[in-house]
Amino acid sequence: MEQVKKDSKGLQHWTDIMVTLLTLELMAFFYYGTHALANAVVCTAVSFTAEVICARLMNRHFSTDDLWCISDALTVSLMMPAVMDYRISAIACIFSVTLAKNVFGGKRNMIFSPPAAAYIFTLVSWKTKLLQYTPPHVHTDIFAKAENLVDSASRVYNLTGKMNYTDFEILMGNFSGPCGAVSILLLIVSAVILILRKDISAGAFTGTVTGTALFAYLTPLMTSELNNVKYSLVTNMVLFSAVYIVSDLRVVPKSNFYAFFYGLFIAVFSYILVLTTALENAVVIISVLFAPLALAMRNLERTILNESISEKNSEGAETA
Amino acid sequence: MNGERATDGLFRKNTVLYSLMVVSPVIVCGNTIKNALALIYVFSAVTFLSVMVSSFVPSKIPYTLRVIIYASVSSLIYIPARIASDMFFPDIAQRIGIYFPLTAVNSLIVIHSEKKFFKMKRTQMAVSLFCHILGFDAVMLVTAFFRELLAYGTINSRMTDIDVLISGLGEPFGGFIFLGLLCGVYRKLSSVSGNKNGGGKNFSDK
Repeated sequence: MEQVKKDSKGLQHWTDIMVTLLTLELMAFFYYGTHALANAVVCTAVSFTAEVICARLMNRHFSTDDLWCISDALTVSLMMPAVMDYRISAIACIFSVTLAKNVFGGKRNMIFSPPAAAYIFTLVSWKTKLLQYTPPHVHTDIFAKAENLVDSASRVYNLTGKMNYTDFEILMGNFSGPCGAVSILLLIVSAVILILRKDISAGAFTGTVTGTALFAYLTPLMTSELNNVKYSLVTNMVLFSAVYIVSDLRVVPKSNFYAFFYGLFIAVFSYILVLTTALENAVVIISVLFAPLALAMRNLERTILNESISEKNSEGAETA
Repeated sequence: MNGERATDGLFRKNTVLYSLMVVSPVIVCGNTIKNALALIYVFSAVTFLSVMVSSFVPSKIPYTLRVIIYASVSSLIYIPARIASDMFFPDIAQRIGIYFPLTAVNSLIVIHSEKKFFKMKRTQMAVSLFCHILGFDAVMLVTAFFRELLAYGTINSRMTDIDVLISGLGEPFGGFIFLGLLCGVYRKLSSVSGNKNGGGKNFSDK
């Protein structure tokens, strides 16, 4: 009975996340054309097939838990440029499903977020293809080759401290970058919905946003502290990662208290990395590197819980 | 010896895939066939000669001293092997770096010789040692072939027309991933072959 409850709750989380991801995908379609949409379809198909094969190899049935491969696939596609080579996206998704997830035993034994691991793998293997983007409103057809690629707004901001976009353009995602990570207004709405419906960890999300904002205010890249806070949150996939990677319930510590510090550490270290090396999208890399911290925090949580249970039991035995 | 065959090191108890010995050179340096060939040459020469010579060290000497002697013998054998490797594989030794001299103190010489080889008769030991070395060589070559092909699009520095290159496979983390997958395939194959032989002892079970 408890298992059925857990499954239905997991399915509800997955559905909510899927709705927000599909909305972002739709936005990407309007900004970048059918190539972005086709890329998402390729990622989903490859991830689903890889998951089915993995389930078969591991002698287990395909369950609702395995549906997460689809949301992971959409996350991967949204972290990539709209004109990404389909083959690279497919390899990234295979990596995400097999090596970042199923090798460790599937959803219940995950160490780090599979899309984040896939992103790092792609970054190491195809850096130039991953970090070159089409400007918004330049539509690319399904089989068209990428042309007139530009650096992301994040890279320009990291290197020069300048952001030549109005607040409205930033909110609407009208600046170059990964096709799903630039729609700031949609990401804010998604974050609010997902937090209220308890689909992501509120603690980790708050920790990430607080850490980035705090450090951006204390050590600004440019003259105005408030502008720096604003731009630091919208660039380098900070908001996107805060919602879909750092706050992923499968990875993050369960209690909001620990999750807050987990998010905070990730945000602080990634901001320092951006500040010192101008590394693009550092938060994704740091979220994977901090996987041991999440594991340690989850173990700490478990130990404290076990100790309190054993204390209660011993007290009960004494009174009896 | 306990039903073990002299040829175990080649497949049934492969040096790298089963025993997970001498893994680091495969992971770090096994990314091109040229690197692999140079390492295979030095590893094979140094390991074979060192273990054969060390087998004459009397067992009455305390274990700690014996291990020091084995390491000294292999270090001495490494010197001519290294000089010859500079002639056969110029510039490769520089590229491989510390992993080249580290072959002189690999676990086959320092640990496995005492645990396994020196308990055998000398002829049987020579065959078993040869097979263990061949086991390493085979894994090194296979790994290097696939990693070079997929990471750089070349086979022994000759260009192929592969479109999508996974350059991450040329890095050490790619080596970890590739070797992990190879170990998985090896264990699956070994369990299948164990089942086919009447469900007998599965040789992937340590």
